[in-house]
Amino acid sequence: MATRALLAVVTASPPRMIQIKASTFSSSLKFQRHITTIARSFSSDTNPSVLQPPDVSRLAETARISLTPSEIEECGAKIRQVIDWFGQLQQVDVSSVEPAIRAEMEGGNLREDAPETFENRESIRASIPSFDEVYLKVPKVLNKE
Amino acid sequence: MSTTLFRTIQPNHFTLLTTALLRTRTKTSRHISVRCQTSTTTQQPRTSAPKNHGSNKLDEILKDYEAVIGIETHVQLSTSTKAFCSCPNSYGSHPNTSICPVCMGLPGALPVLSSKVVDFGVRLGLALNCSLSLKSKFDRKQYFYPDLPKGYQISQFDVPIASGGYVDVDIPLEFGGGHRRFGITRVHMEEDAGKLLHSDAGDYSQAMIVDLNRAGVPLLEIVSEPDMRSGVEAAEYGSEMQRIVRYLGVSNGNMQEGSLRCDVNISIRPIGQAEFGTKVEIKNLNAFSAMSRAIDYEITRQALLYNQGQADKIVTETRLWDEGAQKTVTMRKKEGLADYRYFPEPDLPEVILTQEYVDSIRASLPELPEAKRRRYEAMGLGIQDVLFLANDVSVAEYFDEVIGKGADVKSAANWLMSDIAAYLKNEELSISDVKLTPHELAELIAAIKDETISGKIGKQILFELLAKGGTVQGMIKEKDLITDPVEIEKMIMKVISESPKQLEQYRSGKTKLQGFFAGQVMKMSKGKANPALLNKILLEKLNAKE
Repeated sequence: MATRALLAVVTASPPRMIQIKASTFSSSLKFQRHITTIARSFSSDTNPSVLQPPDVSRLAETARISLTPSEIEECGAKIRQVIDWFGQLQQVDVSSVEPAIRAEMEGGNLREDAPETFENRESIRASIPSFDEVYLKVPKVLNKE
Repeated sequence: MSTTLFRTIQPNHFTLLTTALLRTRTKTSRHISVRCQTSTTTQQPRTSAPKNHGSNKLDEILKDYEAVIGIETHVQLSTSTKAFCSCPNSYGSHPNTSICPVCMGLPGALPVLSSKVVDFGVRLGLALNCSLSLKSKFDRKQYFYPDLPKGYQISQFDVPIASGGYVDVDIPLEFGGGHRRFGITRVHMEEDAGKLLHSDAGDYSQAMIVDLNRAGVPLLEIVSEPDMRSGVEAAEYGSEMQRIVRYLGVSNGNMQEGSLRCDVNISIRPIGQAEFGTKVEIKNLNAFSAMSRAIDYEITRQALLYNQGQADKIVTETRLWDEGAQKTVTMRKKEGLADYRYFPEPDLPEVILTQEYVDSIRASLPELPEAKRRRYEAMGLGIQDVLFLANDVSVAEYFDEVIGKGADVKSAANWLMSDIAAYLKNEELSISDVKLTPHELAELIAAIKDETISGKIGKQILFELLAKGGTVQGMIKEKDLITDPVEIEKMIMKVISESPKQLEQYRSGKTKLQGFFAGQVMKMSKGKANPALLNKILLEKLNAKE
């Protein structure tokens, strides 16, 4: 659980060792072992003080949140605390533990493939400020992020 | 090997046309042979001259460079509901009517996975010979775009439902023929985004418009290994994906509707070099023929840059295929790779498959195209026939039924490929609409075989049965065929008396002239004479008198 959560935080912070992209997958990688190797590499030899500080401006940019310089500093410190806490968790030796995909064990909860019309679609459309009878109007977009 | 492949493409452009005529076009505008159809209808004036040059150029290029091609295919599933909510999944509804808080990404709404999506995922994974992950999960792929209500797409990142498979294809004869095996890296489940369109209001500078009916529609993404080496191979891979999803019934595989979308990744490298060259992505391909042409163009473009010592001008980018100009063009160059900040989807539990579940699905898979092709080959059919019959699952089923009733395999194949296919094309029908039942076709073939009727009459009966239905026996009665030996003898005697010269020639050894006499009798009887009787009596008369 810790190793996966760490994965999440690490992918959010600046590029360190491994930038995980779908396009780099090739047949030589077995996915389960891949998680294990990432997990192992993080848990082996790093200590909290070596973890890089978060690039808060970049984080805010990707999340489309605007921050003032003082907010950036404030956030930076708090996020740093969380990362350091995960750094402590890294100290635990989990070399003999098989990584889990998720914390809970049941899985399931699947839905039948039976269509249902949502009754209050009109109020959904009405709540969109730029809705124009048939379509949502949006500003012109040139490029995907 | 690849040079021979390309050398055969251009001169045979018009044999593509003739083979296209033999392939059916269904009412639902399903293209059986998409690459033939589109290239003939849109490209005729343009492609004859430049393509010839292109072919020689391509040959030259392929002596020095190898193209490395991978394809990402998105298949829209034909489920009744969206992936994570119960909104109806139907193409062509009035915009923004198939919506609910879940697919609109409204606060507090939670996704619930459809069991059908898992079923289809397993089905496709097995059909592509993959290993299934009995445990897999969903992840959030985060980016901002107007057609993405939640600001992230629910997808599968590092633990997809299926991986490590392959697909076997047959390259069409006109491109050199042969078998190929292409690897499949992975298959995973994800949801589609909405549709972003230009507003019709003519005000292109200000706004675009969004229809969210498609947001949340289930997709299966298939990523191939970079095993293809040419436009032809890539097009055949794409066609096989289409065939497989249609055979399985998981999607209608219409590239025009957008239920089958292919993006190509292509790089070239000097022959012998181990490292891959810089990869370029090509999008906006609406047909397999376009895919093939786009790849040919891109190979040429990249090789030219290499030859000019400007290989560094080839950058990792996405290019769009411009069907009008027949070239790839740059989208705005990306500033670095996208950072999707993947993390496990907290609102969805693990996807758990039991071995029994997988086994039961495996047991219920239909005979897939590859297996059908091998079976038809084993029956003695030529590869051209095999490829035609196995291409459309409905045609293959029809054919299987006809020969299941004992009809001669080659005759059944011929009727389907020629007269019946031509009829279907003219009338714009699919094989399932036709009024001629497989049983009656088998009867017809048998009747011609045992010489109850002539081939000519057989054809007439075929057309009537196709259009109006009915039975062969009924038609035979209606046609008032001549089966009375006395009548036939009369006609034979008349013909013999009218052709003394031929009679003499026959008597002096030219026994092939029997056909001449038979033809004359047929003409006289307007084709209604029973061929078996005719020949029997004719032979008697020709050999008897002196």
